Amino acid sequence: MLGNFNITYEEVYNWVKQSCTHVSQDSIEILQAALSQETSSSAKAMLSSMLENVDMADNEDKPVCQSPGYPTVYISFGSTEGVDLLRQYVPMAMVEATKKGYARPSIVHSLNRQNPGDNSGDGVPNFEYQYRPEQEYIEMIISFKGCGAELGNVYKTMTTAQLGSDLKGLKTLVYETVINAGGMPCPPSAIGIGIGGQMDVAAKLSREAISTRDWRDQNPDPLLNELEAELLEKINMLGLGPAGIGGKTTCLAVKIGMAATHTAICPVAINFHCWVARRFGVRLYPDGRREYLFAKGE
Amino acid sequence: MAVHELKVPLSNQDIEKLQAGDTVFLTGTVFTARDMAHLEVKKLLQNRADLPVDFTGSAVFHAGPVVRKSGDGWELIVIGPTTSMRMEPYAEMIGQLGVKAIIGKGGMREDSRKAFQKYKQVYLQAAPGCAVKLASAVQAVEGGYWLEKGMPEALWVLHVEKFGPFAVTMDSHGKSVYQDIKDNALKIMATF
Repeated sequence: MLGNFNITYEEVYNWVKQSCTHVSQDSIEILQAALSQETSSSAKAMLSSMLENVDMADNEDKPVCQSPGYPTVYISFGSTEGVDLLRQYVPMAMVEATKKGYARPSIVHSLNRQNPGDNSGDGVPNFEYQYRPEQEYIEMIISFKGCGAELGNVYKTMTTAQLGSDLKGLKTLVYETVINAGGMPCPPSAIGIGIGGQMDVAAKLSREAISTRDWRDQNPDPLLNELEAELLEKINMLGLGPAGIGGKTTCLAVKIGMAATHTAICPVAINFHCWVARRFGVRLYPDGRREYLFAKGE
Repeated sequence: MAVHELKVPLSNQDIEKLQAGDTVFLTGTVFTARDMAHLEVKKLLQNRADLPVDFTGSAVFHAGPVVRKSGDGWELIVIGPTTSMRMEPYAEMIGQLGVKAIIGKGGMREDSRKAFQKYKQVYLQAAPGCAVKLASAVQAVEGGYWLEKGMPEALWVLHVEKFGPFAVTMDSHGKSVYQDIKDNALKIMATF
């Protein structure tokens, strides 16, 4: 029998709070591996500080970073049952987490810059819904994405000529974007690349790729998987390093989301994510079971 | 690659002995200021009005903390650096004010690099996203100005003890680690 997913406000609040006080496990595991590869003392010191800070936030029950960034909530569902409750509870939980000091009030009116003081505002959090008729569970990913990372983002409507042979033009755009962003996106960062559609589609795909995919996963599309691996390897040869002050660890993951596009264009959006991946992913089953995403690896 | 423990207010001599690559810890008063506070200071200076604090010899932290009201005062929960590049348009103003050290993340550009030489200033890179660790050195929130601008954008006055470690990444001798790394990265990219 289909249940009601047993969604309570308390549970949703705990997920939101946990998003503020924890870094998701995929980022932590890649950071740990990177630390053992680094040779420069300043890079090692930066990575050690980052990992130590993750533990301190956990032990002291504090926000892991002073900035909660900007919240987007990804919800996919096969039936709308339960979705209404999530839509209602997440914004309430954000306001409560803000009042309790787990999230700094950081959302402002875009033009007059007034801050209501509770992380509420038009369109906040941003909800992205996806209807998947065959899906029995609801999947929800709460993603707080830092905004220093946003300052380095780039969108370009490329042409066939600009893509170049062997996608050289696309790759160069990515490397240049990483170099120009320097230390702004709190490196080691992770990079989402959205390709296809029109500008809006590419931009959404770029955020979705880096916010919803596990940073340790493989892309099921062989072409994209190879491209992700090549970009990651070469970005890490550029020498920017943790905090952008030198080292081998510049990027933790490259994830590409793609849609088809029109024959005249190739929209490309490059979207940085800081290493402090505040996100929480869960699948809610109709019988009340929960399955958590971004869990501990091997 | 020396390690320096410095007291705020800072002197020109304190700054001149710092070289890119050194490590610094600060003790004394640190002001936070980001976009809106810089804009406010600019307006006040244009109107020849008084500033709420004296920036001579000061350390300015590009940061917006999480604070909680505690009795008559404030309790600091966490604090970490914000992206300094946004404050680049104020390089000359900050130099003229007598600010000696800027703490932030990501570094600054050419106007700041020149101002750092002219006014004897230094840029200190904090570990990004390490807000709990950094907060452990903040002993007290001594005050806050312009709270109507919101918690992140207010100017907070913090008393810190052995605050750091910070990496000297732009010194008063014209060196910028960010510029060197960028130039080098462009050379590497050309080999791909």
